[in-house]
Amino acid sequence: MSQEQAAEKNVPVIELRHVDKHYGDLHVLRDVSLSVARGEVVVIIGPSGSGKSTLCRTINRLETIDSGEILIEGEPLPQEGRELARMRSELGMVFQQFNLFAHMSILDNVTLGPREVLGQPKEEAEKYALELLARVGVAEQAHKVPAQLSGGQQQRAAIARSLAMRPKAMLFDEPTSALDPEMINEVLDVMVELVRGGMTMIVVTHEMGFARRVADRVVFMADGQIVEEGAPDDFFDHPRSQRARDFLDSIKGH
Amino acid sequence: MGLSELLSTYGEKYLQGLLATWSMTAVSFVFVMMLAVLVTVARVSPYRPLRVVGDLYVQVFRNIPGVALLIIIAYALPELRIVLDWRTCVIVTTILLGSAFGSENFMSGINTIGVGQIEAARSLGLTFTQIIRRVVIPQALRTTVLPMTNLLIAVMLTTALGSQVPLSPQELTGVVSYVNTRATGGILAFLVSALCYVGTAFVISLVGNRIDRKVRILR
Ligand SMILES: Nc1ncnc2c1ncn2[C@@H]1O[C@H](COP(=O)(O)OP(=O)(O)OP(=O)(O)O)[C@@H](O)[C@H]1O
Ligand SMILES: [Mg+2]
Repeated sequence: MSQEQAAEKNVPVIELRHVDKHYGDLHVLRDVSLSVARGEVVVIIGPSGSGKSTLCRTINRLETIDSGEILIEGEPLPQEGRELARMRSELGMVFQQFNLFAHMSILDNVTLGPREVLGQPKEEAEKYALELLARVGVAEQAHKVPAQLSGGQQQRAAIARSLAMRPKAMLFDEPTSALDPEMINEVLDVMVELVRGGMTMIVVTHEMGFARRVADRVVFMADGQIVEEGAPDDFFDHPRSQRARDFLDSIKGH
Repeated sequence: MGLSELLSTYGEKYLQGLLATWSMTAVSFVFVMMLAVLVTVARVSPYRPLRVVGDLYVQVFRNIPGVALLIIIAYALPELRIVLDWRTCVIVTTILLGSAFGSENFMSGINTIGVGQIEAARSLGLTFTQIIRRVVIPQALRTTVLPMTNLLIAVMLTTALGSQVPLSPQELTGVVSYVNTRATGGILAFLVSALCYVGTAFVISLVGNRIDRKVRILR
């Protein structure tokens, strides 16, 4: 490996420095700093309203921040316009509600980004899209519209849609929370495959089994702050803060 | 005067009237849709001044009576040295009124899209224009076929404003006045035109329903 590549490897793919954000009087993110290295998988957990979604959304600049810095591979997020759109296209985002485009076939959902944003020709985009749809196990559904698929299939298609942009990192905001229990694993399996492939990921989830299995680090948020972070087994078995203990008790309770 | 006498004397006049109504309706509706798209894009744009202008446009033209607008266009604009022929005056009036309602239809169609799809598009790196073109407009069009069908009928009825100005050839409503100043067609003279309107509206609804069933988005 050349020195240059080695140096690049040390630059975090995603880095937040002292990020603050308010919604009116509500201080949703308080001095949040977080750094995600290449290939690292960070799981974020925390009570409802603690700012997990907001954190994900600021990384993609779906939300603006009041102060602090967000860097993608060492470059600050552009303010707006084409530059911002380009930067966004380098981060994949998967939502709780799938958010597939309702009027398009699954195949068109996956090729829209590559064709519009990357300017890929139709055949090339479709070839790769079909490959990805096969990888997530919904190739059969390529010509259906989203409403004809189950929730689990829609979420897997949504993951393929993000992957089609060949992102540098993926952000998942509670990707299995809207799913019926029997479909959760089919989506988690796809995510585990991504981890095996070396994808850099931030995952907001309460699936502790998943976190223990693949996370390099668990970050616990409460009231807009990162309260504690650590290796998954350490965190789940020996949480240091009272807030984390209370929270873990509450989700183990049911 | 009986129906057969009315038709044998004025049949051609009615036919011309029907064709005039159809052509003014068609021309108006094409521009109604184009303008409605433009106004709606302005209303959802990230630029506040554009949004204000779009909202203002709709508020003004949705709330002004057709006859008043026609009078302004036909009699006030020439003061500003803008002289349009009578047919154009009627069509412009119809377009301004219709596009305001068309934009309202689009807005309700857009509200069914859901902010999630827009955010997904933004996170893929699509620009505002790309999102409008590939996500918003196609869905807004496909969810508003039925209201737009109603709008097309309303546009046709609005072209009856043409009876208030000297058109040549006259449209359907103008023909009624024409017949009644010459002969005592009475209610019958009106009924013939009414039947033409109703018949056209019926066909428009049938076609609209069919298109709706074909393009409706499964949710
Ligand atoms: N657009 C908004 N305007 C005002 N307040 C908001 C907005 N979005 C979120 N909030 C508030 O910000 C806080 C953090 O919300 P966020 O969605 O980030 O929490 P979360 O940790 O993702 O919660 P959950 O587990 O319920 O998804 C909440 O109190 C929420 O009500
Ligand atoms: Mg959330």
